[in-house]
Amino acid sequence: TPTPSAASGTPTPPSRRLLGSAFLQEFRNWETPWAMEAMHMVALEIRLLAEKADRELVMSGKNPDKLQAAGSFLMKVFGALAVKGPKRVGALYVTCQLFKIYFRLGTVNLCRSVIRSIETARNFDFEDFPVKDKVTYMYYTGRLEVFNENFLVADQKLTYALMHCNPQSESNLRKILKFLIPVKLSIGVLPRRTLLEKYNLLEYADIVTSLRRGDLRLLKQALDRHEDQLLKCGVYLVLEKLELQVYRRLVKKIHIIQREKEPSKAHQIKLEVLVKTLQWLGITMDVDEVECIMACLIYKNLIKGYFAHKSKVLVLSKQDPFPKLNGKPV
Amino acid sequence: MAAQGGEVAAGSDPKPNEGWSEEQPSSSQYQPSASGHHAWSSSGASWNYPVDNSNQNAVYYDPQRDVSVSGATQNVTSGAPHVTQPAVGTANATNTYAPYSNSVQPGYNAAHYPNYYYNYPQPATDSSVHQGVDQSSGAAYQPLTSFPNSGSYVGPTSNTYYNAGADQTAQAYATNNYYYQNNAWSGGSSGDVHAQTYQTYTPSDTNAAQSSCSLPTTSFHYPQQYNQWSNYYDQPAPNSGGFAVAGSSASDTKSASVGSGYAYPSTQPPPPGTTQRKNDAVAPTAPPQAAGITGFRSQHVNQAPGAPGFQSQHVNQAPGAPGFQSQHVNPSPDTPGFQSQHVNLAPVTPGFQSHHVNPSPDTPGFQNPYANKTAAVSGFQNHYANQAPAYQQNSTSHGQLPLSNQRDEQKALHAQGQSSNVYSVNHVNENSQPTLQGFTRTVASVNKVHIPTNPRIAPGFPMSMPQTGKKLEVDSSLKPAYVGVNMPKNDVNAAQDGHGAAIQGSFPVSLCTYVERNLSRCKDDAQRSATQSIMKEIITKATADGTLHTKNWDIEPLLALPENAKGTFMTSNAKDSSPFSFSTSRRSPSRRTKSRWEPVAEEKVTNNMEVVSKEPAKSNACTTWENTRRTGNTWNLGNFVQSRQAPPSQWNQRPSKKQRIGGNTNLTKNGNASSDSDKEQDLTKYYASSIALTNSPEEKKRREHRSKRFERSQGASSKSMSSIPHKNGAANVYTRGAISMLNNRSNGDGASLAVEDIDWDALTIKGTCQEIEKRYLRLTSAPDPATVRPEDVLEKALHMVETSEKNYLYKCDQLKSIRQDLTVQRIQNELTVKVYETHARFALQAGDLSEYNQCQSQLTRLYGEGIAGCHLEFSAYNLLCVMLHSNNKRDLLSSMASLSKEARLDETVKHALAVHSAVSSGNYVMFFKLYKKAPGLNSCLMDLYVERMRFEAIKCMSKSYRPTVPVRYVTRVLGFTRVDVLCEANVADGLEECEEWLKAHGAVLTVDENSGELQIDTKVSSASLYMPEPDNAVSHGDASLAVDDFLARAS
Repeated sequence: TPTPSAASGTPTPPSRRLLGSAFLQEFRNWETPWAMEAMHMVALEIRLLAEKADRELVMSGKNPDKLQAAGSFLMKVFGALAVKGPKRVGALYVTCQLFKIYFRLGTVNLCRSVIRSIETARNFDFEDFPVKDKVTYMYYTGRLEVFNENFLVADQKLTYALMHCNPQSESNLRKILKFLIPVKLSIGVLPRRTLLEKYNLLEYADIVTSLRRGDLRLLKQALDRHEDQLLKCGVYLVLEKLELQVYRRLVKKIHIIQREKEPSKAHQIKLEVLVKTLQWLGITMDVDEVECIMACLIYKNLIKGYFAHKSKVLVLSKQDPFPKLNGKPV
Repeated sequence: MAAQGGEVAAGSDPKPNEGWSEEQPSSSQYQPSASGHHAWSSSGASWNYPVDNSNQNAVYYDPQRDVSVSGATQNVTSGAPHVTQPAVGTANATNTYAPYSNSVQPGYNAAHYPNYYYNYPQPATDSSVHQGVDQSSGAAYQPLTSFPNSGSYVGPTSNTYYNAGADQTAQAYATNNYYYQNNAWSGGSSGDVHAQTYQTYTPSDTNAAQSSCSLPTTSFHYPQQYNQWSNYYDQPAPNSGGFAVAGSSASDTKSASVGSGYAYPSTQPPPPGTTQRKNDAVAPTAPPQAAGITGFRSQHVNQAPGAPGFQSQHVNQAPGAPGFQSQHVNPSPDTPGFQSQHVNLAPVTPGFQSHHVNPSPDTPGFQNPYANKTAAVSGFQNHYANQAPAYQQNSTSHGQLPLSNQRDEQKALHAQGQSSNVYSVNHVNENSQPTLQGFTRTVASVNKVHIPTNPRIAPGFPMSMPQTGKKLEVDSSLKPAYVGVNMPKNDVNAAQDGHGAAIQGSFPVSLCTYVERNLSRCKDDAQRSATQSIMKEIITKATADGTLHTKNWDIEPLLALPENAKGTFMTSNAKDSSPFSFSTSRRSPSRRTKSRWEPVAEEKVTNNMEVVSKEPAKSNACTTWENTRRTGNTWNLGNFVQSRQAPPSQWNQRPSKKQRIGGNTNLTKNGNASSDSDKEQDLTKYYASSIALTNSPEEKKRREHRSKRFERSQGASSKSMSSIPHKNGAANVYTRGAISMLNNRSNGDGASLAVEDIDWDALTIKGTCQEIEKRYLRLTSAPDPATVRPEDVLEKALHMVETSEKNYLYKCDQLKSIRQDLTVQRIQNELTVKVYETHARFALQAGDLSEYNQCQSQLTRLYGEGIAGCHLEFSAYNLLCVMLHSNNKRDLLSSMASLSKEARLDETVKHALAVHSAVSSGNYVMFFKLYKKAPGLNSCLMDLYVERMRFEAIKCMSKSYRPTVPVRYVTRVLGFTRVDVLCEANVADGLEECEEWLKAHGAVLTVDENSGELQIDTKVSSASLYMPEPDNAVSHGDASLAVDDFLARAS
């Protein structure tokens, strides 16, 4: 059994690709997937080497194109695996390697074709694939859904990945949670602090806190503080949208307080109160803006009720004025 | 056939000759001369000398006579030869080819002609020539396939020939003269080779020369001839059309299939496009003959396949004897001899012999060949490889005629033959337009000669020369020059052409091409003669002051076309020069040969130089040939090269551009390229030629410039209107320099030069246009420096646009042209950034997002390269554009992630980010606040989003507000009030506008009972809101493309 390419030596990507091509050629002709592991190893090595080469190319000021080439080679490998027969179970691994390349290259739109063939091709039964590949696949497709702001699907996929991920590999769990938490937040599910601590995701801690407290200032601070990081991993925009939830929480808190103070007027929140509250939070918004925010909250079903412009009062519904999101995104 | 075959086998031996004569009674007449068989092979050396002399002599007397005679005689001859020849013809044909293969391509010989080859050692020489031709054709090689066909040779029909001829002619018509010239040249060269082998064939040279000459009159002839042909073939025109098509693309030409197929396809299934015509032609003529024709055609194909040019030769030959004759006749005395040969075939023989005799001692040798011909045309053919086939065909055709349905049969054939001759001549003329008028004259005379024979043809020739003798002289004089060209080292040349020969020998290639270029532009005799005279002057002058060889003729501006000039001068220099150029500039062909066929060609080339001084004594015809023609080889090669190179380019281009191409060809002469690199050369040539192509205004300017230069000598010249003629001239020089650089580079590098390896720096133009204002026109060809503005002018142009009061469409147009000029000059600096920024701003102000996006992407790249500009401002615009208009989250993320700390502090960027947060949270109040105080052009980008934002807002309000929302509030919140300062007038205006807007979007307005204030009934409105179709919507999606705007732009 040829065991190509343990990471020995320092082959350059081109030569490795030659090796890969030769191996792929042979692999096509083998009816049994006995060399699947080797094939996978080739794919992995090619990707890693290409990444390494690209880093060096960047350092030397050249155009890094190795990873791209590796991507096109892996597509060929995928083509060789995406066939009927026992080899097909190896396809998902290559798919995941492709995902890694595309995400690194920022050309995630290329993932679509691979995903389509995985999800629509008859010869693939998703359950046939190895669990590890399924987890990886779900992780990446979930991330893609985050980009597209399909939070429900993203939640579904990332949750699957989380549930099936090897509990021992904490770094993988962390990666999954890194995206799952913002998704969950956006559909109104807040994590426990212990979870954040366990997986070292404390950049979300303040945000979660702000959501709990309705502390708009804290949210903005947290976003500012971790902006780069959050932008890089692509969840900034998701978290940014939590703002309305924070407002809602704030209004809810005011409502609760007001209900205790004067139950008769519990459902009528004066605009000036809101403005004052925000000012107390250090956020300067004029009346119009606050009014606008309230209108938005109502418009987006975060609050049930209406706004009376003439009297500048937010009138909350008497029944369930703050409906749970129940997995529904804002 | 069998007998012939046997003979052929014996061919190398002198005895075979006898056999020949014996075999063919008809040929017996010739046999006397036929004794020459030996002479052929062995007499190579003797041939050389005599040839030249004989040529001259022959030129004077024979041509006309021969011609006339030939017409009549041909009939006779045809009759006789036919009978015997059919078999012979085939054998001969094969032989002829065999030689080719032998000498040139081993493969060939082995396959088909090994046997024959022996018989005709001499032919081998021819073959070499042919090889050259083939090489030149490049595509010709494919013809190899056709070669096998040649084996079938059976009975080439005159029809075939004619067809071929017709096709060729048609081609000539359809295609550019230039191309033909090449062909003609190659043909001529081949002819020369043959002639040499035979003896004199200087005439062939002359032929070439003639071919080189292009006469407007010729064109006239053609049509007429055409008609005649049409009679025979019924479909001359279609053929030509098909041909043109086939030839039109260089690639086609290259693909031997085109040539071969086209020429001879009819019989053979093979060739694609061309086939049709031939088929057509064949069909009409005679089905029975077809088979024979095919064979014949195949031969032609073989020879011709290479290139159209080659075909043209064939055509000449093909026409059968006629074509052949015509060539010879035209060329020189030899030609006549040749014709006489035909005659010989017929009764005329005497004439022929006499010619030979006259020419020189060689005559014997000459006669011998002819004798061979008589005995078996094939022999003849062998010598004349190209011609020979035709010859045979004639004979064969005659024989076949009876079989065939042809109307006139022999006569018709003859007529055809003649016509073909004329035709060929014409072709030559066309082809050789670049050459001197003198040649044309020759042609004319030739025509006349033919004319008598063929009444049909006669009408065709507008110029009948009663005094053939004089004309002949002219021709001869011209021819000598030509000969000289071919054989610069031969004394004969010198003798023939006094100064001409001397000059010719020493003319640099570039000069020759220069002359050629100039001549090729001439549209009629008057222009040509005038040009020639000017050229002569120039050359004389250059020779006098010693700059002949030092001057860079490649970059010398072309002469202005004289309008009325009537110079009859001469020609010698110019003529000589042009031919010479051909001869000189051929290394690549040889190279090519080598690559394809192995050393043979190469050896020849190398040997030629050495052999010159050596003894012609070599027994092999090839050697003889080489000796005589050491130059000849080169020459042929050169021709080939030309044909190979020029034709393709020409096909793609228009005739008017010929000259340039010619220049380019010269440039390539030294290339050492493999077949691959040859392709590349072609590519580069294309590129270069495309660069050289000039649009009419530029060309005009240059011409004016030139005319200015040569005003004195020229007389009438149009004054140039251009304000900067010298600039144009400089531009030309620059361009040519770049081209030559490119060519040199590619040549020098030898091996493959990938397109991406081309040094674009060398090709980057530097504009010379001083016009500040320039309309944008998307380039469809390489930019012309004369219409490109240099950087300083562009700066002015930018300033002009910035301060212009005109509308956006004008500015956009101007800016696009500025951008274009920057791009083609590869200017990437602050000015570039400034231009793009300016354009982006204008585009934003006009709401032209597509144009803005173009600029933005360029700016992103330019900023990325570290060129200073309003980086922050445009990153803000980019942010806004992405968030508001592309709605791509990932793009937005990456845009935001790429913002530097510094950028985040920028006012514009901060504003953009604020807008983002306002939009993401749906905070319309914030949005319109930001809208009102937007810095820079942010408001312009927001403008495009305002409508959507307002609609979102009103939906939101109608859902969340109860029971009503005052319009006044909406007016304020949604930014309908123009200014922050709330003066009454503004508020009133805003209210009105808001009300209209609300109504337009389906809001239900009510009046408050107490205050009388206008309100929105939110509950009702929430169900009735809609987004109206934009007023300015256009079906094609881009209002800026509306016809009105176009018209406005155009005006």
